[in-house]
Amino acid sequence: MNGRALHFYLAGINNQNFLMRDKETGTWWQQITGKAIYGPLKGDSLELVPYDELTFGEWKSEVSDGLVLAEVPKYAKEYESNWEPEILKLPVVISFPGTELKSRDVVVGLELKGVSRAYPWDTLLKQSPVMDHVAGTPLLVAVAPDKKSFRVFVSRIDGKDSEFFLKGEAEDETDSAKTSKKLETQVDASKSSAGVPPAVAGAASPRTPQPAQAVAKSDPPAKPWLLLDSTTASEWNFQGCAVSGPAHGKCLDRVSALKDYWFDWRNYHPDTTIYKH
Amino acid sequence: MITSNAHKPSLWIALATFALVGFGAFMFPAFIIRPFRSQHPRTLLWAMEIRQFAPLVSLLCAIVSFLLIAMLWRSSNKWRRALLSLAAIAVTFSAVMSRLNYFEWMFHPVDSAKFDAESSSKLGADEMILAVRYGEDARAYPIREMAYHHILNDVVGGVPIAVTY
Repeated sequence: MNGRALHFYLAGINNQNFLMRDKETGTWWQQITGKAIYGPLKGDSLELVPYDELTFGEWKSEVSDGLVLAEVPKYAKEYESNWEPEILKLPVVISFPGTELKSRDVVVGLELKGVSRAYPWDTLLKQSPVMDHVAGTPLLVAVAPDKKSFRVFVSRIDGKDSEFFLKGEAEDETDSAKTSKKLETQVDASKSSAGVPPAVAGAASPRTPQPAQAVAKSDPPAKPWLLLDSTTASEWNFQGCAVSGPAHGKCLDRVSALKDYWFDWRNYHPDTTIYKH
Repeated sequence: MITSNAHKPSLWIALATFALVGFGAFMFPAFIIRPFRSQHPRTLLWAMEIRQFAPLVSLLCAIVSFLLIAMLWRSSNKWRRALLSLAAIAVTFSAVMSRLNYFEWMFHPVDSAKFDAESSSKLGADEMILAVRYGEDARAYPIREMAYHHILNDVVGGVPIAVTY
């Protein structure tokens, strides 16, 4: 903040979104917004760092020499991998009756030029890649084949709005199998090092509320996940970069998005709309 | 006997006031900012305001309360002494608690974050992470850890960040 590094600690809870204070000034900050709500820095906002919510497998396939936060041995037994079903049982203290979603429905929320939009996670699972427009910006919302990782991009190639489709969907079965085999080596050799076939990863522990059937049904046989664009017919990977075709080497701009419970997203984005197919 | 401190209402009123203010300095914000309850913006603001001054206020109130208790103790009967003891416990509790962060008793902070190399991490491939990358500096924060600690202060690619979940 203003050239000064602040260090934060947990200081309370506000309608189930936590409050933190910084050691340097004692200011109170709201977690979801990064805004200072009380104290010497009131009115200031922390800058949101670009980040991803991914599976470890997906991340490993994309980075080299990355660092992973180690467990603190003292507290390791307190960590809970399967906490989401437990959270679902907890009461919510604020609700928005009359909206189309339930309080604990999971959404991917984003804000562009003051316009907020929520994408129900179930809808994304069924329809990814989703094409949309928010505040005049064409968007591509994609869920990775692991059914957990997601990213949002500006679907514009060299200034031209483009549509994206999942490769293989409209193609002849044998044809796409052949192409994808060829692509696998050429495109993302490191991907296979993730070790777990996406289909298995997704089905093994569907933590987000989702009908198990949808996972099984929509899971294609393990082949590289690629998108095709309508403008150049290039192939794009989950990092939003073209891996072959005329756009090869180009990458789409990213849009920050937050996976959140509906009640929390709606509470801080009262004007949000909900994506509908 | 008539002038014994225990029979001076002013001392008792003063004690009651300081004990209540001292106790409330911790208890009011703790009550408002508690989980599984909805927080109204106005009361939350009061709670933060009081919490800000609670360490000082609760300490001063405790000191004054103890002086008053000392003045009242000798001439009090056992019921009044029970009341005085209660006041002493309340102001001490408040003065101590408003110096501690009990949220961190439930969710311990990470004092000094340690990292594993990506290749040696035992994390499962389908475990969710928060990923941040600045240039070549790529970090993964497993959500199962972040959902417990909630906040981690870190520096990535020279940029100080707070990772929250």
